[in-house]
Amino acid sequence: MTTALLDNCLVVGAILFVLGAVGFLTRRNLILVMLSSELMLHGVSLNLVAFSGFHENLRGQSFTVFILAIAACEAGIGLALTLALYRRRKTLDIDVWSDLAEVAPRRDEAAEAAAVAYEADRGEEPAFPRLTPAGAVPKDVPRPYEVQARESADV
Amino acid sequence: MQPFADWLLSHAAPLVGVTLGAVALWLALPRPRMGAARIALAAVAGLASLGILSVTSLVPMEDPSQAGLFYLFAGVAVVSGALTVTNHDPVYAALWFAIATLGVCGLFLLNFAPFLAAATVIVYAGAIIVTFLFILMLAQQNGAAFYDRYASRPLATSIAAGLVLATLLLSLHAWRGADDSVASVRFLPPPEALAEQTLSGGEEQLSSMRSLGRSLFGDYLFAVELAGTALLIAAIGAIAIAPRRQGGAL
Repeated sequence: MTTALLDNCLVVGAILFVLGAVGFLTRRNLILVMLSSELMLHGVSLNLVAFSGFHENLRGQSFTVFILAIAACEAGIGLALTLALYRRRKTLDIDVWSDLAEVAPRRDEAAEAAAVAYEADRGEEPAFPRLTPAGAVPKDVPRPYEVQARESADV
Repeated sequence: MQPFADWLLSHAAPLVGVTLGAVALWLALPRPRMGAARIALAAVAGLASLGILSVTSLVPMEDPSQAGLFYLFAGVAVVSGALTVTNHDPVYAALWFAIATLGVCGLFLLNFAPFLAAATVIVYAGAIIVTFLFILMLAQQNGAAFYDRYASRPLATSIAAGLVLATLLLSLHAWRGADDSVASVRFLPPPEALAEQTLSGGEEQLSSMRSLGRSLFGDYLFAVELAGTALLIAAIGAIAIAPRRQGGAL
């Protein structure tokens, strides 16, 4: 089997994959984002088929059939989701959905100091890294140091 | 520092090609005011990058007809892939994607996979037509939308893409060995047990639908059933997700 063909197909597959990744990251149209992911899948399929030809067995081709099947599933669900999202906001712009992401948490230094004091009080080693709670704090779940403060207030 | 500089110098040609490609992508990604000069510069940089990469990263092939077909299909696939990503009009982007798919199918043919080439064309023809209808239905009602004219973070993405591509290509170069002679032999040989199980004797068997069917419905029967189930679930899910008009009609 020709080794040059395998090497060259791997190069083309890499380029296609990177192009698809660029489209996936930069385009703001929901439909084009999906097309870019299909371009990445093309690069992967090309790798599989090239290795299949190089090794002279059919496993790579069989895997590519499965890639086709899963890509069809993805396209179906993706287009249904696109339609549903479009109905809500009347635009295909991806950025209008960025409010689904969590708000970047602010560092709460008073809470950190209180937590360190709580651990020192119980004779525990301070636990690091100290994670800043992300998102909105649930109202009805008190933090440990708040429970302690409440108990000491009761006494 | 010195070994790193030596390493950079010894791989200067592919690195220059990748850098030019990243610059071309950055220039060509959509933004509000695309001057003709900018487009021309992007085209020149992209073609130069492809030329450098095809000289430095591709291995010369012995069979001239195979080489010609490979360069044709690979060029079509890569150029139309780049145009898919950078075209600011979604209709044209979908068309370019169809042409990129055709190029990839040509490469499938070169790699003895005619059934996969046909199946990919059929599946993606359907997918592209549906995507097309969606674009016409949703995106083209008020002309070109502003969000198609602004790429998000083009500079950072181009740099990241250049880094990823350089990594992939240089690792391929490393597999090939220092003298840059063809050495795909360095890729793992198939394991013994697997070599005994191959259904094929040669290229004719490899490209026949009969042996692909035996592989799919013999070795991978369970996985084929799973994939069919996944397709069914995806179809049901798509129907469930798709919004309805009043009265339950789709």
